[in-house]
Amino acid sequence: MNRPDLFTSVCIFAGSLPVLLIILGLLVLTGLQVADPETFIDAILDPSVIDSILLTFTAAACSTLILFAIGTPLAYLLSRQKFPLKSVVEGLIDLPLVIPHTVAGIIVYLLCMRQGLLGLPGSLVGIRFEETIAGIIIAMLFVSVPYYVNTVREGFSRVPVRLEQVARSLGATPGRAFVQISLPLTTRHILTGGLMAWGRGVSEFAAVVMIAYHPMIISTLIYQRFNTGGLYAATAVAFVMVVFSLLLFVFIRILGGRLLSEVR
Amino acid sequence: MIRIRDLLVRVGSFELPVKNLDVSDNDWVVITGRSGSGKTVFLETIAGFFTPESGSIILDGADITSLPPEKRGISIVFQYYSLFPHMTARENIGYGLKLRNNPEIHTIVSDYARMLGIDSLLDRSPAQLSGGEKQRVAIARALVVNPKLLLLDEPASALDHETRRSLWNDLCSLHDRGDLTIIHVTHDRNEAEVLGNRRIIIDGGKFVE
Repeated sequence: MNRPDLFTSVCIFAGSLPVLLIILGLLVLTGLQVADPETFIDAILDPSVIDSILLTFTAAACSTLILFAIGTPLAYLLSRQKFPLKSVVEGLIDLPLVIPHTVAGIIVYLLCMRQGLLGLPGSLVGIRFEETIAGIIIAMLFVSVPYYVNTVREGFSRVPVRLEQVARSLGATPGRAFVQISLPLTTRHILTGGLMAWGRGVSEFAAVVMIAYHPMIISTLIYQRFNTGGLYAATAVAFVMVVFSLLLFVFIRILGGRLLSEVR
Repeated sequence: MIRIRDLLVRVGSFELPVKNLDVSDNDWVVITGRSGSGKTVFLETIAGFFTPESGSIILDGADITSLPPEKRGISIVFQYYSLFPHMTARENIGYGLKLRNNPEIHTIVSDYARMLGIDSLLDRSPAQLSGGEKQRVAIARALVVNPKLLLLDEPASALDHETRRSLWNDLCSLHDRGDLTIIHVTHDRNEAEVLGNRRIIIDGGKFVE
């Protein structure tokens, strides 16, 4: 291997810092578990920890599935159509990226509380958001919209309009051209956007805790353990979450890679 | 036969008026003009990708001016092939037949592929084809659905000299078989002189024959 030039060396040095930061954080967290394995074993055998992780993953998966259904058409429209106030719509989609998570939580609460714009009609058909998994899903959905929509919009923008035009001229309706041409060519972006949205949902705390402290998602449980049992009780649960997340992300990446190679 | 009357196409600030144009069955009309003269916009309007401000397009006696592209029976071949990259050459050619649930899809695709000399390439993906091969796949894909009209948008412009000549020969052979009406736009004067039986120049938004 050639000796790197000065610019590459600077890139390597600068680039290694964030990686090092994550590795150091994980090492400290792991070190604490090695020093106190009993607390870690208690945490991993604690049904409330496992239930909380499963609830978090499931709720984030549900919000991601909803995003597949409603975010994909939005991303397609934004990539293909010009319409009045388009930049306002784009700004609104980006809003959850820049507002504090507590503000997102307040917005979600105002919408979903019993007298809210979503809560009131919801309660009429028997759907309650406060202190329920439905509320958790809505909060996760709210914060993950920009991650999914922006990624998938970028994907659609890379599919030449000419391909859809050719499909139309050969007899495909706009819907068929979308499903048979544009959608398969955006698979990579849809999977990446879905994974990012799911990860964003899993990591949410403030927005969720305002609408649903119970049932406890994992970040709420860690916060509760920190307040009631101290740092060590919280780090054991945190470590279990890190291990689960890592395993799942690796699994999804492998599965995603296989799916993509099949699509190709 | 296609009849165009008092057509006005507006795309942003660009305007293209077409007073009258009649194209008879089996005609091969070659339209030339400078870049930005509106050649491609004209083809895209006939194909149904743009709705004209006014005027009419009559194809075989039916007014298709406001019909969507999928209901016009008009195929189009673009300069840069526009093959579906996630499909093989065979799937690309058979796409329109598959939409029509045509049971003869395999035979028809093979026939056209043989005619265009690409029968040994049918299982390749577009990324594994040369420019000339890609354009032949695009032409076969446009023809298998038996279009009432074939639109060619600079079909040979992205090809080298040899391949361009060879593609011209193939297009001539296909046209000579009969029952194929073509409107073909190109900025290449040589191509306009060699191909087609009618030549039209777009100049300053006007059609001059």
